[in-house]
Amino acid sequence: MPILEARSLTKNFRRPDKASGFKGAVTHLMQRKYKNYTAVNGIDLSIEAGESVAYVGPNGAGKSTTVKLLTGILKPSEGTVRVMGRDPHAERIANAHDIGVLFGQRTQLWWDLPVEESLKLLKHMYGVSDADYRARIARFDALLDLGEFMPALARTLSLGQRMRADLACALIHDPKMVYLDEPTIGLDISVKDRLRAFLREMADDGTTLLLTSHDLADIEEVCERIVVIDKGAIAYDGPIRQLKAHYITTKTVHLFLEGPADVPVLAEKFPDYDWAAGEAPSEVVVTYESNRFTTAEVLGSLTSRLAPRDLSLSEPSIEDVIRRLYAGELTE
Amino acid sequence: MAEAFALKRSVPVRHVFAIYWRSLAAQIRSVFEYPADLWVMASAGATWNLLQFAFLAVLFATVPDVAGWSFHEMLLLSGLLSVAGGANALFADGVWSTGSYVVRGEIDYRITRPAPVVVQVASSHLGLQSFGEILLGLAMFGYGWIGAGLGLAWLPVGALALVCASVIQCALVTALCAVNFWVKGPMSIFAFLMIDLQGQSMRLPLGIFPAAVRIVTLFVVPVAFVNFVPVAVLTGHLSAWWLIGTPLTAAASLALAAGVYRLGLRSYDSSGH
Repeated sequence: MPILEARSLTKNFRRPDKASGFKGAVTHLMQRKYKNYTAVNGIDLSIEAGESVAYVGPNGAGKSTTVKLLTGILKPSEGTVRVMGRDPHAERIANAHDIGVLFGQRTQLWWDLPVEESLKLLKHMYGVSDADYRARIARFDALLDLGEFMPALARTLSLGQRMRADLACALIHDPKMVYLDEPTIGLDISVKDRLRAFLREMADDGTTLLLTSHDLADIEEVCERIVVIDKGAIAYDGPIRQLKAHYITTKTVHLFLEGPADVPVLAEKFPDYDWAAGEAPSEVVVTYESNRFTTAEVLGSLTSRLAPRDLSLSEPSIEDVIRRLYAGELTE
Repeated sequence: MAEAFALKRSVPVRHVFAIYWRSLAAQIRSVFEYPADLWVMASAGATWNLLQFAFLAVLFATVPDVAGWSFHEMLLLSGLLSVAGGANALFADGVWSTGSYVVRGEIDYRITRPAPVVVQVASSHLGLQSFGEILLGLAMFGYGWIGAGLGLAWLPVGALALVCASVIQCALVTALCAVNFWVKGPMSIFAFLMIDLQGQSMRLPLGIFPAAVRIVTLFVVPVAFVNFVPVAVLTGHLSAWWLIGTPLTAAASLALAAGVYRLGLRSYDSSGH
């Protein structure tokens, strides 16, 4: 049985159609007008225990709304969610013990209390034993360096410290299903690296993970499966490897010639490849279909006939694929 | 309805109280790390009550009684109201933030934790002025008690009045702040209106007001049960039967607050879709 199962999940929001301010609020009380819009539109999603799933999509695609539906914060307009067989909205308290949630944009730390106090309050709320608490804190400390800011008030933390503390809060009760909404947003490279290593270890340990992020490096390093959502519906769901194999069908060589590059002439000479001007006058970008030509073949003919000063090879990144998926250029 | 029962059964009441006290205790500990804030705010609360006292003292220097109520009886009224207000700031100050939590989506995390949301919100903040309010309120109440010639035999009624006043005050403010689940905005306008109504009418004998005010404060927004009814019973202005209304109102207000909050959560749609 999947640990998480969503069927035809739909969320419509009513936006009050009202004037601003108190007067607007009072008028709205008398005369209620709304506009409807659909944030999540009939999503089917099934996650097996131990999977690490990336949930990506452009801004406003419905990612956060989906996470809120899956965590029981919002009630679906239509469709069902089951997390370990339970409806997370109706059975919120029972569900709470099994899930861990992090919203990168917000903190769950008590703003005016030391980090340690927040963790202790959560410990008691979840009924974590002293021994488990100590063991988990020791582990988080080893991986996330919590010790340095445990006594600091939450409001005095840097963003990186705040995020690490929030991650500890989300995991203090050792949840089976973890939702991370933008856990690396606004973080510098070194904190991101540390966080990713931690998440990878968690995923390797068998924690089920749903991760949303705009940083595709997070996704490639932590997740095996990717779900792309656009305009409230799923555009792709499958292994990241397969997404690449399926959509990455071209490769690119950057050539740096001795003199200025003349693209039309080169295109005439090598009609099998696509040619484009590079950033420098002597640079030219050659794109070829990787299932028609081997890289050795392409490089052999190019180097023997053009004798370039230098060259570099590049493969379209997962980022390019996603960008094209967002733009609607690719369909499954 | 089944949902409501499932919730109650899955969180034992004792556990809820433990969570609530821990959260408040943590706030109190942190307050004592910044004693300057505490002194400033507590003094503000105390000063406000001294002004109430001064107002009554000046008033009664010129008149012997107000609608049959003596200086000391009115001190009981004022004192009890101050204690109730202070209790709100001490025990449930967080509910005033309901509106801003709703518009900023800060209810989200609280829904994902295994404890009642209203308990988490209520204990999320501490009003430092409460220390001054409660202290001075109790002083006024005690002074009025002695001056009005109430003996020790009445003490259980006094204690009941103090507890019920605090409960009703916290519950009604909570219910009115929960209106912000629907009327989106950081200001708890309806709760402010109630506090204003209390400030205007509940420090004076209810008898001087027109029937409309009496009906509203007794039966619509039952703030009269916070201070007026118990004090009127203590001082013989109302028959002892009225006293039953006080714990009943406390229980009804609590049920109302929990119900409105639960309904509000149902229509909560977070922020940042």
